[in-house]
Amino acid sequence: MSTFWTRLSPRWGVGACASLLALLFTSASADAARVKGRLEGFRLLRNPVWAEAKDSANHGFSFREPVPTVRAEFRRPFPHIPKELCVALLAATPQPAQKPVLVRVGGGRTTPVTIVVPPGTRLTFQNTDPFKHRLYGVGIKTFLPAEQGQGAAREWTPAAPGVYEIRDEAAPSLRMWIVAEPHLASIAYPSLKGEFSVNVEQPGEYTLQAFFAGKKVGDAVPVKVDAADVDLRAAIRVMDQKTADAEEKADAEKAAKAPKAQDAK
Amino acid sequence: MLASRFWYVFLGLLVGVATFLLFLATSMYNRAGARAMGEALSSDSQVVNWYLSNDARQRSAQLIQFGIDADIARSLVKANDNDQKVPDEAREKAMTALKKVNAGMPTDQAFDAVFLVDQHGRVVAHLGYEQASGNENFELGGYPVVADALRGYIRDDTLVLDRIYRVVARPVEADTSQMPAGAIVGARILDDRFARELSSRTGAAIAFYTSGARVSSGAPETFNSAQLDQIVGDFASLEGDEEYQSKGRSKVRTIAGMVGVQYSKLPGEAWKLGAGYAVAREPKAVAGPFGFFKTADDQDKANANVALAVAVALGAALIGIGFSLLEHTRPIHNFRLEVQKLAKGEIDQLQPSRFHGAFRKIASDLNDGVDKILAKGGGPRRGPADLKEVLGDLPAEPQMSAFSFPGEHMPAVPSSGSGPHTNPVVTPKGLPTVPVNPRLPKPPGRNASNLDSTMEAQGDVLSSASPMSGSWGAEAPELADWRAVYQDFVALKQQCGESTDGFTYEKFEATLTRSRDNLMNRHGANRVKFSVYVKEGKAALKATPLKD
Repeated sequence: MSTFWTRLSPRWGVGACASLLALLFTSASADAARVKGRLEGFRLLRNPVWAEAKDSANHGFSFREPVPTVRAEFRRPFPHIPKELCVALLAATPQPAQKPVLVRVGGGRTTPVTIVVPPGTRLTFQNTDPFKHRLYGVGIKTFLPAEQGQGAAREWTPAAPGVYEIRDEAAPSLRMWIVAEPHLASIAYPSLKGEFSVNVEQPGEYTLQAFFAGKKVGDAVPVKVDAADVDLRAAIRVMDQKTADAEEKADAEKAAKAPKAQDAK
Repeated sequence: MLASRFWYVFLGLLVGVATFLLFLATSMYNRAGARAMGEALSSDSQVVNWYLSNDARQRSAQLIQFGIDADIARSLVKANDNDQKVPDEAREKAMTALKKVNAGMPTDQAFDAVFLVDQHGRVVAHLGYEQASGNENFELGGYPVVADALRGYIRDDTLVLDRIYRVVARPVEADTSQMPAGAIVGARILDDRFARELSSRTGAAIAFYTSGARVSSGAPETFNSAQLDQIVGDFASLEGDEEYQSKGRSKVRTIAGMVGVQYSKLPGEAWKLGAGYAVAREPKAVAGPFGFFKTADDQDKANANVALAVAVALGAALIGIGFSLLEHTRPIHNFRLEVQKLAKGEIDQLQPSRFHGAFRKIASDLNDGVDKILAKGGGPRRGPADLKEVLGDLPAEPQMSAFSFPGEHMPAVPSSGSGPHTNPVVTPKGLPTVPVNPRLPKPPGRNASNLDSTMEAQGDVLSSASPMSGSWGAEAPELADWRAVYQDFVALKQQCGESTDGFTYEKFEATLTRSRDNLMNRHGANRVKFSVYVKEGKAALKATPLKD
């Protein structure tokens, strides 16, 4: 399980780091069970920001050329799943709000990019870049643009279920999705290979669901958790080739209709 | 004077047309200057755009040196293996390798900052970006340019972080069967140094801006770089420029009439953030027709056909002078000559046909005036003073005989006479005769009918006469007087040293008779009295018509 996004900035100090780590609802307790599994087809997903940026009509570059020595299968805007693909374990009944969650803002994105939390869970956005950010919630009146200097933090809590998008006026590539899910029990982020491990505090029947860019991807997988760890033998496919090809084709047609950036100049 | 007047009108029209042409030329020059400035600005903008793109391409090629360095690739592989934290060993090795490769970069192709990014987007090592020193969480993986590099693309971008950066990135491969191990990112700061370098290579005055503020600028020496500050005040209205918003390049805008500017958005993320560059030029315009003198340089002045201008000016002046000579000086000169002839008596009257225009009318009027004066008996006498004019009407013959002439009391002359025969003529009191001013009014009580006339002895009239005297028998009193006058006249001529050969009394009498008749007819006088006197050293006769 990848929990690196919960690390604290050195500015916060060791004590704060320890206390925040304690707040993580994904942190494992000694006797908690774990649901292990593997994701497939995640390289067929497309990061919406990067996919948009490669369209020359958006003037994102003056030149963009593939390196021949890199295999074609890698030359797609697939997401960095340790930050962008959130594996959520949903309980059968609504769950209480979790302890505060730290979201790092830096490097042109947030960490994590997609997160699933129960409503009422407080999110703390910390700027880890050496320059300012201006985060705001798209259509969220309680999350208006405000300047954040280096190391500064601001908080926001999703009050109701739903999907919320966070953007940055100072960094167009920064887009974050917050999914407020009442039944959320626990989440985890996969490794680069797609392997994940979700901690479960209470035995019971759960549903495993992957979220990407604020949307569900792949099928929901029911999981029954007892005292022992659960190892899902079947990989969870988050995107199939046919759907990916269809999306790719639609995007290509859209790009063909739009005037080329160079032509516009 | 018609030609002169036509010339004045022509010159006036010419000056008017020249003035109109000057304003026309000013307008056309300014319009052409504005058009040329617009074209030049578009060219500048294109050149800057090409330069930015080409510079990014060239620098991306320099990144290969980092991409093929084995130490860099190995340090990235080690960093990738730990998804929690970048190992310190990997950082150190990466930093060492970065410094080594960077030191070998050509100076003109060097980057301001270089970042080595692993597959997780974390910055493993970096050079030249001290703001992030000690920040273990520093990463760049979210930016499309880095994400693309991590997925096998070389591309550029313009990032607006704490400053504006032109960025190029390319993948670093450790195993070609796997995803790239990471990416190498090179950045150049769009600061004044970059702007000056760009300006020197493109010849354009350029300013980079973001968030409504100018961040850097560079301009040729001939351009007043302070003008670039004015773009700040233009940003507000720039938002309303549709071309700028849709195509990323504004129309040519003139700020305060002092500087022409064209704005262009920078490619990359900066496009969405409203960052861009402005190219500027000072408009080639003149404030008015006389502005050409200020604007023209030595080359312009050398190209001007001064000789033609001088020739035209001289030609116009000469034509004007010629017309004035023909129509003013020459007629006056001719008129003066004719009048002088009239004054000398060479001609009796002016000949209007010899004159043109107003002078012809003047001559005609003058002749008419002379004729009228003569018809009235002549105007005031302009000859030497005589006793009649000074003393008024002379008494009749008996009184005349009682009148004492200075010559009669002087030493005896060769032949005595009754008339005046000395010069100067003196008054009865022995005083010299005051020359008569013809402008003075006539003496009161003067009988206008007692006019006098002076007849000078002309050689052609009298010289042929013989000095021999005729018979002195019983003659009329008038003839007796004439004989006396003849004797006085001959004597006076001899005194004056004149020849009297052939000057006979008969001819003298015939002349007097003709003169007498003429004067009596003209003035209605009953008789004419002749006397002699000296005029200009010569003997002269004076005829005085009398009505008694």
